[in-house]
Amino acid sequence: MNSQPIIEIRELDAYYGDRKILDQIDLQVNEGEIMVVMGGSGSGKSTLLRHLLSLNRPSAGTIRLFGQDINGLPSRKLHEMRQRIGVSFQGGALFNSLNVEENVAFPLREHTKLDDNTIRIMARMKLEVVNLAGFEKLMPSQLSGGMIKRAALARAIVMDPKLLFFDEPSAGLDPVVSADLDELILRLRDAMGVTIVVVTHELESAFRIADRITVLDRGKILITGTTREVKESDNSRVQNLLNRRTEDVPVNADEYLQRLTDDLTGL
Amino acid sequence: MTRTMSFIEGTGRITLNAIEEVGYHFALFVESLYWVIAGPFLGQPVRIPIIVSEMMKIGVLAVPVVMLLSFSNGVMMAIQGIATLQEFDAESQVVPGIAYSVTREFGVLIAAIVVAGRSGSAIAARIGSMQMSQEVDALRVMGIEPVRHLVAPILLAMLLMMPILTLLADSAALIGGGLYTGIVLKLSLSTFIDRVFETIALYDLMQGVVKSLVFGLLIALIACSNGFSVHGGSEGLGRATTRSVVLSIAAIVVADMIFTYFLNR
Amino acid sequence: MEYEIEEIKGYAIVHLKGDVDLSRSPFARKAILDCLQERKDVLVDLTAVTYIDSSGVASLVEGFQVSRRMSLDFALIGVSDAAMSVLQLARLDQVFPIFASLDARIAHTERRT
Ligand SMILES: Nc1ncnc2c1ncn2[C@@H]1O[C@H](COP(=O)(O)OP(=O)(O)OP(=O)(O)O)[C@@H](O)[C@H]1O
Ligand SMILES: [Mg+2]
Repeated sequence: MNSQPIIEIRELDAYYGDRKILDQIDLQVNEGEIMVVMGGSGSGKSTLLRHLLSLNRPSAGTIRLFGQDINGLPSRKLHEMRQRIGVSFQGGALFNSLNVEENVAFPLREHTKLDDNTIRIMARMKLEVVNLAGFEKLMPSQLSGGMIKRAALARAIVMDPKLLFFDEPSAGLDPVVSADLDELILRLRDAMGVTIVVVTHELESAFRIADRITVLDRGKILITGTTREVKESDNSRVQNLLNRRTEDVPVNADEYLQRLTDDLTGL
Repeated sequence: MTRTMSFIEGTGRITLNAIEEVGYHFALFVESLYWVIAGPFLGQPVRIPIIVSEMMKIGVLAVPVVMLLSFSNGVMMAIQGIATLQEFDAESQVVPGIAYSVTREFGVLIAAIVVAGRSGSAIAARIGSMQMSQEVDALRVMGIEPVRHLVAPILLAMLLMMPILTLLADSAALIGGGLYTGIVLKLSLSTFIDRVFETIALYDLMQGVVKSLVFGLLIALIACSNGFSVHGGSEGLGRATTRSVVLSIAAIVVADMIFTYFLNR
Repeated sequence: MEYEIEEIKGYAIVHLKGDVDLSRSPFARKAILDCLQERKDVLVDLTAVTYIDSSGVASLVEGFQVSRRMSLDFALIGVSDAAMSVLQLARLDQVFPIFASLDARIAHTERRT
């Protein structure tokens, strides 16, 4: 079982327009593993995620999920594969016209012919799992940030996915709620054997949940390894990120002045 | 020199963009059609409850406004018609005049413009905000085609409701025209209706209905594609909504002109 | 596709087996609800279950709720570790009566009476 990775990225390049966002990304994620993709703002984490979800097409390179190349896949096969994948978006992406329970039940209603009772029980069970019991009838606009994240997670796991993507689980949440969510991610992996990819820039959260971490920087992977290997890395950019140091770029007075006064008239 | 160049360049770019946009609408149409036909076999049927709710929003809720505008339009045509024809002592010819222009032209035009104003903006706003909040992405990664789930039901509802709205608009306008003519020319409403049916043939009614299908298609495609193209926050959303209404009304009027030219030669 | 049902000592024992997933759980649900409709006490045997997903667990939940409404007995037996961890995720291990076997269930009722 463990011989074949669930995710296999080879030499992935991505552009927005002329700007290269991802550069020669190679990454493997094994079954049952929690892989955390870490990196500063703008390093390309969300872009990588969009490629893994086949929302963007790579400029070069291949992405295999469950052993299948997602960009060579006929749309029908892609639809089938997507039913085995759960995604929790950064902003939740709950359907605003549906209440919490309907949101969570939505994939089941679309993809299965299960009895209505079964579907509703399943949806409520998942809400229990994420500690949102009793909020079934609220609309997304009535939820707090943490509740939105948890509802989105409930929807992502309602089909019992084999692979779960989670964008920024703890961004903008207080430390207690964020620790709760981390705990939940670990429990999900243990109970359901899900392979989980988490994108985050929160260090504590990353080290709490990760089996392995991959560090993205300006579109390149600096290091991929266990939490220990990453902590002990002697790459200065990795250490800067871990110690929240900003890079001290020496100031070039001429260029700096030029940037500040460029395009101004009368100077 | 440079000015002409940039003018030509600009025109070229606009033309290219327009062609690209028309192509996109066409692709959207083909894809919706594909899901309507093939969806049930791929486990992705176009859901009937969604179609019904769209029919409600697009069609049923538009009935009062469409009727009111058409009725007023009928009255106005009678007023103008009688005033003009009086000069030739031919007031009685007002009936065929109204009958033709309502069934062939104005019934469908009013229905389409009302729907473009109401639903063109609402649809673009709804899809646009779903695009902004990543709901469209969420659908996609769940294995649910947004075109199948969002566009196809709107398109079907539009194609089902536009002819009905058009026929309702026709009748409201004829009643409006009939009432005014009746009062001024001492013609009973039933005589008026009889004379209307002497004048128009099924062909005239169908002309309106066929146009209504095309207009419905234009409104649905323009609204949906503007919704999907939203980017750049709430300002972008507002822009897409406005653009959707303006473009669909423009498309309707131009298409109508082309139709009328070919159908009445 | 139907599951085997055995009647022992006044209990209808529903033997689930293999993967109880989205495609199979409707059969499990039907088997359980049918037994309850016949007013039988039900034990669901999970010994031969290799995998149970939430639709399977939801069927158990519905069965349990129906049994309570009809004042019938309902319990799970032979719950594997894998099945247990799925139940634990939604804290359902604290909800269902869970026993090692039919005999354990009977011993339990006798001790109480
Ligand atoms: N739709 C887009 N069009 C053009 N450029 C984009 C687009 N989305 C992202 N980018 C650019 O791609 C780069 C990487 O963005 P990305 O969203 O992947 O970063 P990130 O690592 O997720 O950052 P954050 O932690 O702030 O979310 C950024 O420089 C951004 O400006
Ligand atoms: Mg991001």
